[in-house]
Amino acid sequence: MKKIKLLIIDDEVEFAATLCQRLKLRGIDASDVHSGGEGLAVLTEESPEIVILDLKMPDMSGLDVLAEIKTYDPSIEVIMLTGHGSAGSGIEAMEKGALDYIMKPIDLKELLEKIELADEKRSKA
Amino acid sequence: MKKRSGWLAKILPPPSDNIVSGADLDKGYKSFRRGLAIILIVLVLVPLAIISIVSHYQYEQLLEQEELDQLILNLEQAQTTVEAFVSKLQSVIKFVARDDRYQELLDPKELEALFVRLQDEYPGFVDIEVIDSQGMQKAYFGPYQLEERNYTDQTWYKQVLLQGVYISNVFSGFRDVPHFVIAVSRKHPQEQGNWILRVTIDAKTLQDFVDTTSTSYADDMFLIDVNRTLQTQPQKYGTLGGRCILHDTEDSTKKSFLKSLAKRDTMVQRAPGMVIIQKSFEKHRVNHATADLENTPWRLVLIKEQYLHADTWVLFKIRLITIFLTCAIIAVFVIVEISLAITNHLRESDKKREQFLIEAEQPNKLVSIGRLAAGVAHEINNPLAIINQKTGLVQDFMEMSEDFAHKGAMAEALDGIQDSVERCKKITHRLLGFARQAEVKTEEIDINAIVRDVVDFLAKEASYNQIRIDFDLDQDLSKIFSDRGQLQQIFLNITNNAIDAIGSDGKITLSSRQVDEESIQVKISDDGPGMSLEIQQRIFDPFFTTKETGKGTGLGLSIVYGLIKKLGGTIKVESEIGEGTTFDITLPVTKSEQEEGT
Repeated sequence: MKKIKLLIIDDEVEFAATLCQRLKLRGIDASDVHSGGEGLAVLTEESPEIVILDLKMPDMSGLDVLAEIKTYDPSIEVIMLTGHGSAGSGIEAMEKGALDYIMKPIDLKELLEKIELADEKRSKA
Repeated sequence: MKKRSGWLAKILPPPSDNIVSGADLDKGYKSFRRGLAIILIVLVLVPLAIISIVSHYQYEQLLEQEELDQLILNLEQAQTTVEAFVSKLQSVIKFVARDDRYQELLDPKELEALFVRLQDEYPGFVDIEVIDSQGMQKAYFGPYQLEERNYTDQTWYKQVLLQGVYISNVFSGFRDVPHFVIAVSRKHPQEQGNWILRVTIDAKTLQDFVDTTSTSYADDMFLIDVNRTLQTQPQKYGTLGGRCILHDTEDSTKKSFLKSLAKRDTMVQRAPGMVIIQKSFEKHRVNHATADLENTPWRLVLIKEQYLHADTWVLFKIRLITIFLTCAIIAVFVIVEISLAITNHLRESDKKREQFLIEAEQPNKLVSIGRLAAGVAHEINNPLAIINQKTGLVQDFMEMSEDFAHKGAMAEALDGIQDSVERCKKITHRLLGFARQAEVKTEEIDINAIVRDVVDFLAKEASYNQIRIDFDLDQDLSKIFSDRGQLQQIFLNITNNAIDAIGSDGKITLSSRQVDEESIQVKISDDGPGMSLEIQQRIFDPFFTTKETGKGTGLGLSIVYGLIKKLGGTIKVESEIGEGTTFDITLPVTKSEQEEGT
């Protein structure tokens, strides 16, 4: 089975790095960047299949980054990370093309399920 | 509220000033009530007392004046009467002693006949004598042997020659019976000079007359001479020949009535010799009135006990005091009741205002605390996510590594960290949920069905704790337009709290009813331990919890409160310690427009 190529965009360095490391341990080709701009910049270079995107970042909003990604390549599946207890912003992101959302602190099992879902969706497409 | 001026605030401090605790508040109301009562009592009793005192003195003065007027009138009348009597005696003797009768009267038989005629009319006449111009007694008729006396050197003889008429003081003399003399001088028919007719009259005549007159005018009435020697026997105030016993007593009022008499000129002019003095005698106060009797050597004395301190006055005083005391007692009673009522009213309205303030404050408190909570939760959420990931990573490595010392214990510790993170996550998510402004999704809802759903959800937990859940649902309840999820959360939170409150072995009743066309009501009652008033006032505050540390976030009921407000409803709690608690939720049938905007 080919490795899933995944990009984590989150300004919380420690969180992104650790999550990245854990996903790598589970056989996912994950990398992490720590701002929206950086994320968009590495899109061509990394060409990820799945992006895990924080909703709230200092340089630009997760929703804007999402829109850019979707413009660049609509086939990239995006899973939103949200700190809010509300489902509202997650749902909004989904309306804008995100596959799903997951609330911080994340349950890794749940995230893996969603990644799998995203991968399945891509392979079907 | 306008600040009251200093003096009033001092007497009547507002009950809610300087309040630290409930006990102080109670004391505040008590002193307010006392202050109010005192002010009102002073306000009522002072004028009442002033009126009473003024009318007391006015009446006293009136009585005094009236008494004085009466006394003056009596004195004048008595004076006139006695004067008339003495003048009549004089006239009779003057008439008898006509100039031409001198010779006739020298005849003892004629004299006797005359005397007998006189005595018929005036039995008090004792004897009669005729004296010639030389002062020698020429004829005598009477019970004594008094013939052939010479009066030339006697004072009265000189006076009668000078004045024509002479009236003596009362004296006993050699007759040994009190008597007085009236002598009349007439021109001698043959010789130069005057002859004199002298009649001795028993003092009893005067006495009887004065006594008869006295009864109608005064307590005592008598005559005195220029030396203040008593001329008639007083009934009480002295003995004949002595002095009036009041003579030596001090005037109790220096102010004699002359002063007031002087104001009324007519009186003074009519009775120039009139003197009225107040004296004290044997604890009585008496008015001592004197007036000169014209053409006599005497003064008339009238003594009248003051009736100011007698029955009329005492009666008036008793009546006045009774009226005053009755009014005072009624006033005090009414005032005390009124101040009590006012204070209670004040206390009630203060309480209502306070409650209103608490209620009005609640949504604001929720909003600001909600914002703070959301901020804190959001800030904590990120490090929490890192802890969660780092721990997860360590756990990943542990799973991949071989057995090493204490691996089991470490794994357990890491699980402990993940559990705590999970707990924190719940709290932060709840806080964030508390602050979120989720849109209300309105749909047609059967409240009874939602209530049953919620109970189904909790049925297992309730039955574990031997808690029975009863329904009292109105089957004709109209459907309402509201948010299903939020309603579920509301009922779930309250029912869950009820289960926690009961602990085990109890009953929860959920009831619904139609209030009116506009609203419905859901009541959730438990028979748990109930809550004190202090707790009731705080249950909707965020983070207020009575549960053990770690078991409750203190957010459940504040979320409920916020949700119900958002749905346009109200929530009230009634609780009695030992009786249980009832949450009373009223919801609008259709969501009000005002609420839709929020």
